[in-house]
Amino acid sequence: MAGLAFRQAPVLDQREVRRGVFVLRVGGEFSAKPGQFFILRAWELYPLLGRPMSVFDLSPDSLSFAYAVRGEGTRALSRLRPGDVLWLLGPLGNGWTRAEGKVALVGGGIGLAPLLFTAKVFGPPLDLFLGFRDEPFLLEEFPDFARVHVASERGGPPGVFQGLVSEMFEPQGYAAVYACGPRAMLEALYQKCRQARVPLYVSLEERLACGIGACLGCTIFTKKGPARLCREGPVFLAEEIFHGA
Amino acid sequence: MEPDLSVELRKLRLSAPVMPAAGTFGFGEEYAELYEPASFLGALVTKTLTLRPRQGNPQPRLWETPCGLLNSIGLENPGLSAFVEEIFPRLLRFRLPIVVSVYGENAEEYGELGRCIPREAAGLELNLSCPNLPGKPAVLSAEEIFSRVAAAREAWPGELWAKISPEGDWLSAAQAAEEAGADAVVATNTFRGMALDLERRAPVFANVVAGLSGPAIKPLCLRIVYELCRVLRIPVIGCGGIKSGRDALEFILAGAHAVQVGTANFFDPLAIPRILQEMRDWLKKEGLKGLEEVRGCAQKR
Repeated sequence: MAGLAFRQAPVLDQREVRRGVFVLRVGGEFSAKPGQFFILRAWELYPLLGRPMSVFDLSPDSLSFAYAVRGEGTRALSRLRPGDVLWLLGPLGNGWTRAEGKVALVGGGIGLAPLLFTAKVFGPPLDLFLGFRDEPFLLEEFPDFARVHVASERGGPPGVFQGLVSEMFEPQGYAAVYACGPRAMLEALYQKCRQARVPLYVSLEERLACGIGACLGCTIFTKKGPARLCREGPVFLAEEIFHGA
Repeated sequence: MEPDLSVELRKLRLSAPVMPAAGTFGFGEEYAELYEPASFLGALVTKTLTLRPRQGNPQPRLWETPCGLLNSIGLENPGLSAFVEEIFPRLLRFRLPIVVSVYGENAEEYGELGRCIPREAAGLELNLSCPNLPGKPAVLSAEEIFSRVAAAREAWPGELWAKISPEGDWLSAAQAAEEAGADAVVATNTFRGMALDLERRAPVFANVVAGLSGPAIKPLCLRIVYELCRVLRIPVIGCGGIKSGRDALEFILAGAHAVQVGTANFFDPLAIPRILQEMRDWLKKEGLKGLEEVRGCAQKR
């Protein structure tokens, strides 16, 4: 894991892009691969552990995270203001590697977090499929070369597919698919990709403690044996995780 | 003058009084990406090994509590042969004492583990208190402790530690370990706790109970160490919720020879180097030459 470090960084800015969804930008020179994550911590002893966040965007002098407030940790992160300081451990995890040819990135809700940086590094040809429960968010951040297809369970203006992103998405014609989002979305995508014989790479979530592979708190059982989500993952080939229908 | 932080145990000298608690530090190779273990660790205490590989418990394995962490890892480990053949040779490059943590289901298994651990290891720590094995007791009787430690003692000539549970009759357990030939008692492992999921109306963990660690348990473990140090003749190694140099020094004042740091590694991956530095700074500030000057001094005679 090149460049693993535990370091402090200042908050440059934080914006609430939609109720309960934030983009936090910290200053400093960082390195990361698409799909990798950091553990963020900005408090003393409560909550006990830091919070894992995938890289939303990376520039030569800053690093951004997009997240939804879910509990105490993300709530504390959402209160950070410019000039506050937090601790970061990373980069962590395997990340994902671009296949040759045209690829698709699929995100569900805040599962879009790792896809912006991924799209920028992967480059064209690439299509994006983003699903939301209601109002879409952060669409404007994605680069112009990517065609963004949007699904919303509540529907929306013309061009927005009403329903689930896994219903909208068809894998035919893609060299590989990269997805992050709710487990049910990933499993539905897997059934489609399996039938179309298109490899699907999924980014998974579990509770983490150390983040570097020592504590075995995030081990999942894959078809190839136990794997540490923080080390051998968070990205796995879907066929190693899910069963066929 | 730099204070002397070294520690003399019965068959082993540690250059520093701080080491990782078994299971929180893997085999040291991950944390070695962040700092040089030999510069800070008195010893490297490994993940607990069993005779055969174990895949451990299903997810979820972790649950946060206020100032604490419930875990249900279930002794996931590659097994004794993979350790002896592949992992242990790699650890020798760290050039520091390696203490191998082992778990057996009965006295015979501890004997076999003791026979098979490479003699280049600096010590053997017997995990006599894992709370996360389905169908296996977390707390052993004094008789069960005695037979397990005695079997390991017969098989392993070097430094031998018995890591006990903070539950049940820990005093008799520690005395049984001493009588059976342990060179030190490690006090303590985690407390059994649980968490419930209201929406699912069910326990969070598949194994129902899980081990509680972290700052929340420090006062409980400190008291156990304090009491043990009054009655045992062998050294006590304190473990439970230590997150700072002052916490570690409290255990030394209670009478512990050395300490283990576990959960703190998770929220501060540089916890061990920091704790060692904080201990050194405090001794200097107090004008003390070493830990001997304060060890056990909080005991009421």
